[in-house]
Order: sequence, then structure tokens, then C-alpha cells
Amino acid sequence: MNRSEGISGLRSALSRRRFMQGATAMGLTITAMPKFARAAAEEKLLNFYNWDTYIGETTLGDFTKATGIEVKIDLFAENDELFAKLREGNPGYDVIVPTNNWIPRLAEAGMLEPLDHSLIPNIRHITPRFMTDSSFDPGRKYSLPYMWGTIGIGYRKSKFPEPPASLKWLYDSDKYSGRISLMSECDFLLGMALKYLGHSINSADAAQIAQAEALIIKQKPHIKSFAEDNGQDLLASGEVDLVMEWSGDIAQLMAEDPDIGYVLPAEGGALWEDTLAIPKGAPHPQNAHAFINFIHDPEVNVGITNTVQYATPNQSAAAMMDKAYTQNSAIFPPEALLIKSETITYFGEKAIALRQEACTRIFAA
Amino acid sequence: MENWRKSPIVFMFTLLPPALWLTAFFVLPLSLLWLFSFGEKSGITGIDITWTLANYARALEPLYLGIFLKSLWIAGATALICLIIGLPVALAISFASTRTRPWLLLLIILPFWTNLLIRTYALIATLRGNGHVNSVLGWLWKIFGAQFTPLEILYTDGAVVTGLVYVHLPFMVLPVYAALDRIDRSLIEASLDLGAGHVRTFFTIIAPLAMPGIVSGVIITFIPAFGAYLTPDLLGGPDSQMIANVIDRQFKAANDWPFGAALSFILLYAAFFGLAMRGLIGRRAVMGRAP
Amino acid sequence: MKRFAKLTRRAPSGLLDYHRRWPLRLVMVATLIFLYAPVVALMAFSFNDSKRNIVWHGFTLKYYEKLFANTELMQAFANSLTIAFFSTLISVLLGTLAAIALWRFKFPGQRLYEGVMAMPIVIPEICMGIAMMAFMARTGWPQDLIWPLNLGAIMIAHVAFSFPFAAIVIRARLESFNRQLADAARDLGASEFHVFRDILFPHLSPALLAGGLLAFTLSLDDFVITFFTSGPNSVTFPVKIYSMVRFSVTPEVNAASTILIAMTIGLTAIGLRLHYRSQFQETAK
Repeated sequence: MNRSEGISGLRSALSRRRFMQGATAMGLTITAMPKFARAAAEEKLLNFYNWDTYIGETTLGDFTKATGIEVKIDLFAENDELFAKLREGNPGYDVIVPTNNWIPRLAEAGMLEPLDHSLIPNIRHITPRFMTDSSFDPGRKYSLPYMWGTIGIGYRKSKFPEPPASLKWLYDSDKYSGRISLMSECDFLLGMALKYLGHSINSADAAQIAQAEALIIKQKPHIKSFAEDNGQDLLASGEVDLVMEWSGDIAQLMAEDPDIGYVLPAEGGALWEDTLAIPKGAPHPQNAHAFINFIHDPEVNVGITNTVQYATPNQSAAAMMDKAYTQNSAIFPPEALLIKSETITYFGEKAIALRQEACTRIFAA
Repeated sequence: MENWRKSPIVFMFTLLPPALWLTAFFVLPLSLLWLFSFGEKSGITGIDITWTLANYARALEPLYLGIFLKSLWIAGATALICLIIGLPVALAISFASTRTRPWLLLLIILPFWTNLLIRTYALIATLRGNGHVNSVLGWLWKIFGAQFTPLEILYTDGAVVTGLVYVHLPFMVLPVYAALDRIDRSLIEASLDLGAGHVRTFFTIIAPLAMPGIVSGVIITFIPAFGAYLTPDLLGGPDSQMIANVIDRQFKAANDWPFGAALSFILLYAAFFGLAMRGLIGRRAVMGRAP
Repeated sequence: MKRFAKLTRRAPSGLLDYHRRWPLRLVMVATLIFLYAPVVALMAFSFNDSKRNIVWHGFTLKYYEKLFANTELMQAFANSLTIAFFSTLISVLLGTLAAIALWRFKFPGQRLYEGVMAMPIVIPEICMGIAMMAFMARTGWPQDLIWPLNLGAIMIAHVAFSFPFAAIVIRARLESFNRQLADAARDLGASEFHVFRDILFPHLSPALLAGGLLAFTLSLDDFVITFFTSGPNSVTFPVKIYSMVRFSVTPEVNAASTILIAMTIGLTAIGLRLHYRSQFQETAK
């Protein structure tokens, strides 16, 4: 190959490569341009991924009025639904509301953005123990508390001379056969059984899990349904008289129907905390921080709490609530029982697989 | 049928767009899922394609086989009940006057065109403890002065089968009707003339001639019922879980996509088997028919 | 003699008049009651003046008012209609092309093509939903598109499972087409396009309508696949109803359902009217 050929060959190769580079660069610019433009000045939009009826009636509208940012809300019904949606990449959500035991999992999988506390001055209104005592999110790097509550027993007062304050009636007795409903969410279904047997709600021990599984299978003939977040509905329509449910769901029902009661079992219930987090790849992180800050504005928080009837971690808001709320034992259980209750945690992939298989066996039996 | 080479441009024009769409948006996603079924979980969200058969092996464990069998039996019960109800209905329609026939067909198909979720939800309101069925029965019982305890219909396997029959009945009626429609009426008349009773005529003449349609109906009813997800979810009791519910859980709560993919493909292969059977029986029936 | 006697009875019941015989009539009526009663009850209770759907309290339209004021639900409804509209258009187009290809041509791999076309019909929805979700995520489907493009992923998935259904309907209609008409036209010098537009298309139009209707309702009705392929701001009507049903069952859901049913029936009625009008015109010719 003589020199000129070599040079022209090189030149054509270079120009070819440059063409490819140019084309790629142009393509990338076109796809990246909207994002780039947005980073400079975030568009006035927020995508909120939340549980159903878990926000105040006017909160979103008020936020738009205050900041001009429009909020679009999407709903999910279970934490694992949230996880499955975000797992393969964030489809565009800015703020999500996972339960506390999912935060370590989401964080480990690299699915969360760290929060910039300097953008959330309303943190000062949050009850201190939520900021310092969170083993699942030390230093609240990825999440802030939204609402907390318990899982206990909802019941129809007229059918019980005294409150059925024991897990025994749900898990180990045929007294109310056919009038019982348990949660189908595996974490809590097994967790409360473990609690009844005297173990930890978060146990990863195979033998203990097997024990809980056997207990539930034995109790199955007396269980009417494994309810998927609609236990309070079954209670309200009279299908069952005894349900294992989230505290706020029953509290909302109690506001409509005075014949409904809620009690934490003597063995202790489950404690949980729903959190606000920003998923990785959120298109509007600035707006997301502003929204989280807005939620913890005491007055806004009062509005939310009045609607959802769960326990708020915002002490300034709690101070402004009326007596009916602060003295509602469904929302704020007595200290003695709270101490016996255990917070649900992330038990690691292996334990999750173990427990899920146990649940499949339970449902198949 | 002309050979494609005769008009290649038209051929390409009609073949390619659908083929490309199917490939890009159906075959490829499914292939991805198929690859997952040979994979293993790595970390929380990762999947390594290691070409392991462990997922399929696990899918054939007694626990999951049991669930497959349960789904088979619920789907089978659904298909059978649909047949028992659908066959007389199809008969009634096919022998109706030509004026009323399209209306009857329409009446049967119309529920199919309403949303599945809404229909299932309507069934919940009908079958539950203080639902419509129990209200009507309770009112009847009161007239006779008897004590009435509400029937526990909802949240049982029976409710699931009812729901599945409710949803899939049109699928049975249509093919059976189409097959009955094609039967030469003179054969039936001849049989009746020769002295056979109606029932005998039905079993010896009508049913065999309509068999391809009947088989079609059974299979078209069975396969979706086998893979049903919403109905057992909403209407089922503590032990009514079917294979689609288990698959759903693998992709969500259990976060075990490789295993979920393996289960999905076993379900798919079963469905294909059913279709193949239908093709085989259909062809044999056509060949076996007298010229 | 016996037959003559039968014929002279008051309402001459022919031998083959099975539909007149009471057992079949009973089954027919019972089946229709079984199919319609729950849905009719559902619609009736949407007018019930009570928060819990149990006892009839009084007639009211307030849940319909609540429904129309529920912007999320209305948005979901708009999304569903948009998706169904575009999905139907593309499905009918692709279905027609596929049907023509399979009917007219003999080509290698025909069986395979038919087989793959049949797959979306048989496949359990959850498999397809998951597959599409994983596929869209792994191939980096753009997420932040404006409406209605953000509904694109769902539309694509809907077309993928609808057009085989449309193809079946159209193919069935093609079977009754007289090829010689097309051949004659071609002999007389018409181009392929003219043959299609002036001869094939009019013959196919009832099937196109039926196929379109089928694709439309499949899309409107779909829950499982949409659930997995939807992203932010693309909540569809069935998905929204599902979350409402799971949380608390109020007459608002009944009202929403009634409207959807009314829409479906209305569309079907129009479609069938057009179909039968074209049928009558054809037989009248």
C-alpha cells in the first residue's frame, strides 16, 4: 500500500468515524435535550406515586396554588407493586411512598436518590425520634416519615362483649370460624403468626417460619378470606367480624360506623412507618423536595391527617389536632401495648424467599 | 392461493408490517422472558442468564405441580359447566327463526363486551353474604316462615368457577353455534323420520357432526380459564389460588423473576398443547367425515 | 299420519323447532338471567342513595355527579378512550394486511406465521404484561413523553394482542370473497390498489367493522397488560376501577361501570346496525 492510498484510506476512515460520531452525538443530543432543558429550569410538574386515598383532599391543589407546580398522582396498592414498577428503571415518578421495611431494599438496589435535607426546612417539625431512631434508614438519608401506624385487630363491637384483644382469636381458635379475615400480605401474615408464637415478627429462622406456616394452615378452615387491603370493606359489609388490618383503614371506618372498633392484641401488634422518598432518575428532584417540604408544613399536615386518620410523625401538626384524634386509641395506641409491638424490618433476600415460599404453601394448602 | 412470487410487492406489503410488529413487540419481549427463565437472581434486581434449569426443576416440585393441577381442575370444571349450559343454548339459537337468531346471539355476546373487572365486581355484590342471591333467598325463606342463614358462596372455589363460567360462556356458545349452523338439517329430519327420538338423534347425529365446534368451544373456554388471574384474586377463598396468581406473586412480592418466567412458560406450553390438540382433533374430524 | 296430526295442532311445532320446546327455552331464559342479573343489579345500585352497596335507600344521581367531578377518574377514562382509539386503528390495519397475506398467498413458513399470530390470543395475559414491562425497561423506552405519546407503550402492547383477533374476523370474511371478481378487474387493467379499494374493501367492510369493534373493546377492557406497561399519568379506566374496588366499594364505582357498559352497548348497537344495513343492501342487490 503506497503512502497516498494509506492517507486517503485513513482520511476516509476518519471521516467515516467522524460521521458516526456526529450522528451519535446528534442523536444523543436530541434525546437528551428535553432533559437538559429541564435540568436548567425544572418544568412545573410532579409525578406522585402513592397509595389510594392516602393524601388530603385539597393537599395537591393547595400545593399547586402555592408553587404553581402541577401534581399528577398515580396509585399502587402494595409495596411489591411499587417495587416491581421501579425495578427495571424509574418510569418517571418523582415522589414515592414506600413502607419503612422496603427502604433498605430499595437503597441497596440503588433505586433511591439521597435527600437533600437543606431543601426541606420543615424537618424541624418532625418528632425527633423519627429522625434519630430509624434503624432502617440511619440519618434519614433516603426517606422521611409520612405517616406511621400499627397493624392490629379490627372488629364489630356488637358481636363481642369485650374487645377480642388477642391474636389467638385470629390464628388459633375456631370460636369465630368463618368470620375471620387475615391480610394476604405475606410479611404481616407470617409476622403476626410468629408474634403469636412468641418469636420476632422479623424472624428469618426457617424452623420458626415453618411453625408459623403450620399454625396458619391449621387455622385455614376457619378463615373466610385472605384480604388484599380490603379487609375493612369485608368488616363494613358484614362478611366478617374480625379482621387483621392497618390502623388507619379501621380508623376511617370507625368515623363512619360507630359499631367498629380497633384494638392492638395483647401479644403486641406490628409497627410500621410509611415514608416519602425520591426514586433514582426522578425527572423533577427540585419539585420533589419542595413537595416533601410542603407535606410537613404543620397546617398542610393537619389537613392530610384529618383525611387519612393515621398517626402523623409531625409533632407540630399533632399539637394542632383535636382531642377526638389525639385520644383515638386506634390511631395512638396505649404506650404499654406499643412497647410490645415490633417494627417490621427488611429481612434480606434469602429470608424473603423463604417466607414467600411458605406463603405459597399456605395459600395452596 | 397464489404463490407469493407472482406478486412479490403486494406480498411484502401485506406480510411485513404485521410480521415486524409481532416480532418487535411480541416475540422479542417473550424471548426476553424466556431467557429470564434460564437465569438466576443476582443481587436484588439483577438477573444473570446462566442457562440453568433450576427454575424449571423447581416449577415441577410437588407444591407447584399441585397448584397446576388445581388450576387444571378448576378450568376443567369451568369448561364442563360451560358445555352443559352452552350446548342447549347454542341449540336453541341455531334452531330459532332467522329473525330472532341474530338478536339471541347478540344477547349472549353482549356481556362479553363489558369490562371483565366490572362483571367480576358485579358478581361479588351478587354472591356475598348480604348480596342479591342471599337477599332473594332470605326473602323467600321468610315467606315460608323459615329461619335463613346466608349461604357462604363468595370466597370459595365454587365462586371462582361461577365467575369463570360467567365470563367464558360466550366463548363456548359461539363456536358450538357456528358448528351447529353448518349441519345439514335434512340429516336430522331423516333420523327423526326413521323413528329415532330427539335425544337419540341428538347423541348419534347432531353431536358427532358438531364435534369440531364443541371441541373448539371447550378448548377456547379451558385455556383462558386455566390462566385466569383476576377472578380467583377477587372471588376466591383462602385456598383458591391458581397458577396465574402464583406467577404474579413471583414477579411482585417474591421478586423472583427467573422463577416466575419459568412458571409462565410452562403455562404457555400447556396452552399450546391444548391448541395443538384442537388442531389435531379438528383435522381428524374433517377427514373422518363422509364425503 | 302422526306427523300430520302434530302439524294440525294449534301452534304447528315443527320437528326441528327445538327453540319452541320448553326445556331449551328454559335453559335459554335461565342463562340470560344468569348473565344479566348481576350486571343489571350493579347498574341499578349506582342510583342507590347509600354509601355501602347493601340496602336500597333511595334514588339519587349524586354518585354520577361525584363521578364527573372526579378528575382522576375522568382522566383515566380519557386515557382509555385514546388508547383504544389508536389501538383499534392500527389493529384493523395490521389485521387486514395479515389476513390478506394469509388468505391470498402461499409462502414458506405460512404455518409458522399462523402459529405466531395465534399466540397473543392464547398467551396468559400476565406473561405478556410482564414480558412487555421488562422489554420496555431494558430497551430504554423513553419515559418522559407528553400526552398522548406517553400512552404509546400501552397502545403498542394493545395492538400486539388485538390485531390477531381482528385478523381472524377479517380472514373469515375473506373466505367468502369471490377471487374471480378481483381477477376480472385485474384483467381489465385495474391496479392492485384499485382492486383493493373498489372491490375488496367494500366486501370486507363489515368484517373491518366487527374486527375494529373487537379490538376497541379488547383495548378498553384490558387490565392486566395495561397494568404492567403503564407509567406515570397513564392510569387507565380499568386500573383506576381496580384500585377503587380494592380499597372501598362505593356506588361511584357502580356509576363508572354503568357508564362504561352503556358506552359499550351503544357502540355495539351502532356497529351492528351498520353491519346489518350493509348485509341487507348486499342481499337486496
